[in-house]
Amino acid sequence: MDRRGFLKFAAGGTVGLVASPIIWNTLYDAVYWTQNWGWIPRLKKGESEYIPTVSKLCPSGTGFVVRTVAGTPVRTIGDKNNPVTHGAMTALAAAEAELRVSPARLKTPLRRSPDGAYVAITWTEAETLLKQKLQEAGSSVAAVSGDPTSSINEVLTSILNQRGSSDFYFMPDEEQPAAVAWEAMGGQGRLGYDMENSDCILAVGAPVLESWGVVAANRSAFNRTHPVAGEPTQKLLYAGALQNNTAAGADLWLPMKPGTDMALLLGVAHLLIKAGKQGFAAGLANFASFAAAYTPEKVSGITGVPVARLEAAAKALAEAKKPLVIAGSALGAGGSAGPVMVAVAINMLLGSVNREGGLVDMPFPVSVVAHATEYRETMRKRFVNYTQAVAAGKTKAPALLLVYAANPLYSLPADSGMKETLSKAGYSIAVASFMSETCEACDLVLPAALGMEAFDDVQTPYGSGRVTYALARPVAKPFAGARSAGELFIALAQELDLELGVKDMPELLYKHAYALGAPFRAMMDEGRVFTAKTALPASPLFYNWEAIRSAASARGAEGDIQVAPVVVLGMGTAQTAIPPFATKVVTDYQLKGKYSVAQMNSATAAKLKVNAGDHIRLVAGNNVEITVVAAIFEGILPDTVSLVAGLGHTAFDQFSKGKGSNVLALTSVCREPGTGLPVWGLAGVKAARA
Amino acid sequence: MEERNNTTTPATEAKKCSCGWGAFVVGLVVALILGWWVLPNLMKETKKQPIAFSHVEHVQNQGMTCEQCHFVRADGSFSGTPTTAQCAECHFTVLGSNPEEARFVREYVQTGREIKSEWLVYQKQPDNVFFSHALHFGPLAELRGPKETAAFCSKCHLNVAETDVPPVYTENRLSGYSENTMLMWGCERCHAEHMAMGNTNASNACFTCHK
Repeated sequence: MDRRGFLKFAAGGTVGLVASPIIWNTLYDAVYWTQNWGWIPRLKKGESEYIPTVSKLCPSGTGFVVRTVAGTPVRTIGDKNNPVTHGAMTALAAAEAELRVSPARLKTPLRRSPDGAYVAITWTEAETLLKQKLQEAGSSVAAVSGDPTSSINEVLTSILNQRGSSDFYFMPDEEQPAAVAWEAMGGQGRLGYDMENSDCILAVGAPVLESWGVVAANRSAFNRTHPVAGEPTQKLLYAGALQNNTAAGADLWLPMKPGTDMALLLGVAHLLIKAGKQGFAAGLANFASFAAAYTPEKVSGITGVPVARLEAAAKALAEAKKPLVIAGSALGAGGSAGPVMVAVAINMLLGSVNREGGLVDMPFPVSVVAHATEYRETMRKRFVNYTQAVAAGKTKAPALLLVYAANPLYSLPADSGMKETLSKAGYSIAVASFMSETCEACDLVLPAALGMEAFDDVQTPYGSGRVTYALARPVAKPFAGARSAGELFIALAQELDLELGVKDMPELLYKHAYALGAPFRAMMDEGRVFTAKTALPASPLFYNWEAIRSAASARGAEGDIQVAPVVVLGMGTAQTAIPPFATKVVTDYQLKGKYSVAQMNSATAAKLKVNAGDHIRLVAGNNVEITVVAAIFEGILPDTVSLVAGLGHTAFDQFSKGKGSNVLALTSVCREPGTGLPVWGLAGVKAARA
Repeated sequence: MEERNNTTTPATEAKKCSCGWGAFVVGLVVALILGWWVLPNLMKETKKQPIAFSHVEHVQNQGMTCEQCHFVRADGSFSGTPTTAQCAECHFTVLGSNPEEARFVREYVQTGREIKSEWLVYQKQPDNVFFSHALHFGPLAELRGPKETAAFCSKCHLNVAETDVPPVYTENRLSGYSENTMLMWGCERCHAEHMAMGNTNASNACFTCHK
């Protein structure tokens, strides 16, 4: 065949192929083939089940219904039958089904090899190593837990106590300063808040609709007391530096400079005393005399709150039938006890203690595990005091440090001594669900099951006004090689021949339910949540004005610019980092590219000579410097910038690592006068255009 | 310089032309054979179902209804293929003399092996197609008996109601999908033509099926 013949043959072939279905069918098949690409998510098909349980990642123990398809959790939905949260959910709990398969999820036990890299090991090897290290450590063991609502802590304290160590701590949280304050004022039980039944709430520094207390319950109560088409049945007054969601929802916002909570509360106390609100208790005269110095004008000068708003807040409280005053901090940890003391004093003036809609003197969670430390005793211990003492060489470093459900390397200030404690500890073990900064610094990392994968519980979270008890039930198998932390610790105790009095997690939960009189079977089978209005006999409260005076002498934050941290659960917690599912709710006012966004009003921007979008350097008193992007927001006080917390991770996954700066880096640990509490809620900085 | 002779005699021209058209025709025929028979068959692979299930035996001889195995769950999702556990509700032991049934009991029921995960679905759609059986079952309640139901279901599916052995499953080697998988024009017979099956009121917008 010559060239011309070949070309004609090819032309005939082309016409023939075009006239046949092969090309078109191949194109169709190619389209279907594109759906096989590995990165395309696969739908889970099968029967749906809706199983009520509670979140263990969300600090407020949100009750939710987990939808599973063929046994795999695909979605969490607010549980309308939950008597605490009434169907409300936090952004973190809403992302929990996706967090279960997050790229940062730990899949297998990891042991640090001599070259510093992690090697995957089996659970048998991990358990042997854990047992060996615990035996070698003797009594030189320390442990910290970031989950104060779990019964697993009792197992841990029991193990430590039986090994001869009393170094078990809770991570610093909102409750620790409140417990100090309540005890200082004569409280004998646990401080609770009956927000649901109050008709007027003043929240000072406590963003009750964002991060303070049982957020989901707070928001649910807010929704019910603030109907869309109707008159509100509750007044919410909020004092804070930023017009956040709590301020936006509040009936009255008191724009208060960061760190001036004490002055504002004392000013309110003074106005109430003047209005005749003088609930009698020992020390009233001295307290009234001390508070008298905080005239509205003086308080306005200190806090920046206009006198009229201050008086309006005091008037609303005085006129309310069931007023309630709450003090807290945005960060939820490292706060001061002083403002809570004054808040308690104001509630005493208003007769709002152990009364419906007021403060509640509640019983502490009970311990049912043999040799366990009582909750109250653990609450009295300060982890940062321990780590700073170890760092300074005043306390011997532990031979074994166990970190459970916590990420102290990220969530404590740089001068907390955590880094030094980890490096000085003979051996460090992290039991966690996600590869956090702390995990990356430990010698052994053990993957823990989530609440929806194992038995666990939620005992009355701080901020509640009633005793609650909820069970976390396994609705799915643990992800990859994760394992129930509770079962792991119980098995460890059994291996070491230690006495716990319980053989597994269900028995531990049963004993707790029994101690409370809770219907264990219905809780296990149907996911019911137990609640009880249990108030202790009235504590002999008194106006501890000397403690208040000492706390009021604390120095304010230094620096030209005050930093108001913003905590939103959409950013996750230190243990979870930003849930991949929640990245879509991270706004340009929180994170711009790889920089955190500092919001400020136009007056502050003009003073700093910056425009929106400019880079600025913030230098803290501890010489830590971060670069952020400026954004203009008029709902913030002059000389104040707000930074969202939860950014600046150096671990986890691509959704969190290297995104923004950790606001906690700007804070330093100092001691509150009088109580000696380690506090780091304040951060004053110098700011300049970068 | 030598002059190039570009002229040809008429006889030579006619010969070349005839040969060229022959090549064209050969090419055409070869391509048609390749395009219609050879390549399509090379691109397909036939597979057998793991068990030679007989619809005739279950429906006609045992009087079962379609809904006993193929049903919409309470949550609206569709259970198209029964699980081993569902089959074992009757076949917990060998009931008849069919060797396939005995093999099913031996290899699946007694070992817990899941038949559903091995069953080849003739019309499996990729995940980018959101299809709800429940939404397409409107006329089903008005139909009487397996025959009418089978005729309705076979508007989209192979009619297997009267088969004694499952149809051969033909899989495309490139995509991994069955050759019976309904293509988009199949959906559009109704979604684009509202009166195709009576007034279906079906939207033909992209997001109706692609979420």
